[in-house]
Amino acid sequence: MADDAEHFTAIYDACRQRVWAYAVSRAGRQVADEVVSETFAIAWRRLADVPDPPLPWLLGVARNVLRDNFRAEVRRESLAAELASWDAAVQEDIADQVADRLAIVRALAALGEDDREVLLLVAWQGMAPRDAARVLGCSATALRVRLHRARRRLARAAADPPPAARPARTVTPAPLRIARKEVS
Amino acid sequence: MTRDVMRRLAEARPAHLDPDAPVDEGTRRAELARATYGAQASSAARGRARGGRRLRWGLAGVAVATGAAVALAVLPDDSAVAPRDGGSGGAPVVALDARTILLTAADRAAAQPDRPGRYWHTVRVGSGAYRVKSPGGDYTIVTRSEQKAWTPFTPGNHGWSGSRDLGAVPATPADEAAWRRAGAPSELTVQVGGRKASGPVRLKPMPVSTRPGEERIERHPLVGGDKVFWLGRNVTMKDLRTLPDTPAALKKWLLRSYAGHGTETTDQKMSSDDWLFTVTTGLIIDMPVTPATRAAAFRMLADLKTVRALGTVKDARGRSGSAVAVTERTPNGTFQHRLIIDPATARPLADERVLIKGAGMSAKLPTGTVVFSTVVLGNGWTDAAPR
Repeated sequence: MADDAEHFTAIYDACRQRVWAYAVSRAGRQVADEVVSETFAIAWRRLADVPDPPLPWLLGVARNVLRDNFRAEVRRESLAAELASWDAAVQEDIADQVADRLAIVRALAALGEDDREVLLLVAWQGMAPRDAARVLGCSATALRVRLHRARRRLARAAADPPPAARPARTVTPAPLRIARKEVS
Repeated sequence: MTRDVMRRLAEARPAHLDPDAPVDEGTRRAELARATYGAQASSAARGRARGGRRLRWGLAGVAVATGAAVALAVLPDDSAVAPRDGGSGGAPVVALDARTILLTAADRAAAQPDRPGRYWHTVRVGSGAYRVKSPGGDYTIVTRSEQKAWTPFTPGNHGWSGSRDLGAVPATPADEAAWRRAGAPSELTVQVGGRKASGPVRLKPMPVSTRPGEERIERHPLVGGDKVFWLGRNVTMKDLRTLPDTPAALKKWLLRSYAGHGTETTDQKMSSDDWLFTVTTGLIIDMPVTPATRAAAFRMLADLKTVRALGTVKDARGRSGSAVAVTERTPNGTFQHRLIIDPATARPLADERVLIKGAGMSAKLPTGTVVFSTVVLGNGWTDAAPR
């Protein structure tokens, strides 16, 4: 039992920030903390199933948690706020190449969710295509094809920058009942 | 070109998404605890809206427990949880029963002013007690953190939250003596064990510092755009302001969210009375409900048979108040869960869990220790944004 706890803590220390960064890039900060929480709760319950390296497995779990526990509107809104914050962060930056980074960030915001996911696993998490494929549950070949297409669309969008990401709107979502069903 | 775009993309990564960034120690503790303990109902973020879904592993006490009280009102080991008089040696205090205390509080609460401003602003100190191993004698240390929140009245505005580690202190003079014998270390490690259904667990030793940290204030969008608090389910400011104002209707409204288990984990059963006490304590401690709803909340608690009066007690900051409590049995200890209020105004002073019988993560702590507490330093409406 003590070994389990130590093993789990080591996994957490090695991967937590990456799981969080993944969740933020998919659904924004509001949602990310809960995704991290739930992901590691699942990892603890299923510790014997966690492979080595654990990260692709954990991101796969986080991906399911996001899909199963948060309604699409909730994710979208939280993500819209996050994307707008990347835009704002670049604009406030006084470093060089702000224009270029802004173009990239805006292009990224304009891409579809699937494109953005694969690009960020590789570019921001530094994942090998094989590991990214494990996260997405596809073959390495399929991953390469997805990555290639996403990269092309990003380059195109960055060359022809779309306007700034819109800040999140306050819409009134229906009461958050999603959670209720799984705890009953 | 495509290779180039990947490099440009990598360089555009916002600093906060650096996967090698260190994890804040409080967050780390909380998340590890949440994952492995499941349980403890907690203080700090308990009332805050929970990002879009009911959290299976809510905020575990451990980390949230960063916080409280200097002269921590820890009771002597064996007097356990006996009620204490406010003034020792003074005139005998007339012991009121829980129902009388709560019905009086209801009347006082109903008479309080209610003038909403732009933000509902709360300042609280959360604390948690841990046992430190030492060759010269083990001792108890209390971690403390100040938590501020600004919740907008109007949806669409952002909320703000701030937190500051106040530094850990020994729990009692005896603990302080033991800490001094150990060389008065400013950096400590505590053993955190816990209990799951499958048996005891032990985590890596947790670092604790007696040095205060810096305040961090963050602006954040509301959960789902408009959810501000958790009250059995996530609620909007409008929900809160239009809650029923009779005890029966309020009880019915709240119980729609009750599913037979505790507020922090789905695998611990909790009776509906204890659940109502926990959720309603959150409402009383944290939330900007109308005076009529607040009064209804006190009247509803007055009707719960499991709620007992403790008389006048001092909270973790040494302020005297009227306390009522229920007994909470969890795999990580049996606690007297107390709500302490100012009898004159019915304003909340503190929410505390005092150890009756140690188990799991509280096994090493002396009976009578205030294991978790949330002390309210201020609650009120303000028009001023945090900065």
